[in-house]
Amino acid sequence: MDQFEKHIRDNKAVFDDHRADREKIWANIASQLNEERTKEIPLWKSPMLRIAASILILLGISGAIGFNFFASPTTESQFVSQELQDIDMHYQGLVSYQVQLVQNNSQLSDADKEEFLSFMVELDAEYEQLKLEMQNNLDNEQVLEAIVANYRKRIELIENLLQQLNESKIKEDDYGYTL
Amino acid sequence: METEIRFTHRSLVENSKSGDRTSQYQLYELYVDAMYNVSMRFLGIKEDAEDIVQDSFVDAFKNLEKFKYESSFGAWLKRIVINKSINHLKVKRLPLAAIDEHEYHLTNEVEYEQVDAMDILKVKSGIEKLPLGYKQIINLYLLEGYDHNEISDVLGITTSTSKSQYHRAKKKLVEIINGL
Repeated sequence: MDQFEKHIRDNKAVFDDHRADREKIWANIASQLNEERTKEIPLWKSPMLRIAASILILLGISGAIGFNFFASPTTESQFVSQELQDIDMHYQGLVSYQVQLVQNNSQLSDADKEEFLSFMVELDAEYEQLKLEMQNNLDNEQVLEAIVANYRKRIELIENLLQQLNESKIKEDDYGYTL
Repeated sequence: METEIRFTHRSLVENSKSGDRTSQYQLYELYVDAMYNVSMRFLGIKEDAEDIVQDSFVDAFKNLEKFKYESSFGAWLKRIVINKSINHLKVKRLPLAAIDEHEYHLTNEVEYEQVDAMDILKVKSGIEKLPLGYKQIINLYLLEGYDHNEISDVLGITTSTSKSQYHRAKKKLVEIINGL
């Protein structure tokens, strides 16, 4: 370092000749720091909220683990529920078609239709219960069979009713011939 | 000795870390004028320097937990002020160094004429008259006491560029002072 540099460094105080507007600058600093405090503290620095957040996270994690654990045989349950859906679709289509036939039938009185449909409603309720049971025991074949049986019963009932109606129609026709 | 300097105002710094506003204000009072002068030397505009000082203190207090006494608090704070001042100049697209001129003088040992160096006020006004790029490097080296490694870091140039720029700037300064 030469004399020139040394002289400047020794007299550095001469270069510090500005005075800051302390109050004004501090007012701005304090307001910015306060802003930060009101933004941050309620969320992350409050111990209560920290505890609450921790509990929520723990519940979330245990919930996710529990869900995965209880729904463990995933491929199997997917397979069963897919099977159930297929059966459901098939029978639902049949039943609704035949219920429509009954409702459109002109030979049946309204009272008869109502009686028949109330019976169907009972079977519907049973079916809903079986479906719930199915959700609890996805791989329970007995429940699956019961659901199928429920559908079959409905279809059978409708078929019987329609058959009876047709038979009486034939009889009436035959009767006409004999006359 | 070095340890003592690094731990200057330790209790104030520690209290400020935990958000104690009174300690923060005490630190502010201790350093605000020095920091304002640093920024004024770079920017030369009162309002700009005030903004930089304000932002620097806010940043410093917000990030105080990152300060691990590797330097003194003052040096740490000054680094923030210098970085912010230089970024401010970059944003304004002002040239930080007159790179195209210095290459020719890499091997030239500058002959310093007899300067009226004793007149420190002449030196002061001479520095103010320097082109901006030279002024930054003179400020950093002579007044802030940064070495060429630190300067190269702050300005994003190589150490050799920093050295040659400094010599060129010093020669220019001597010329200006002699012309005053």
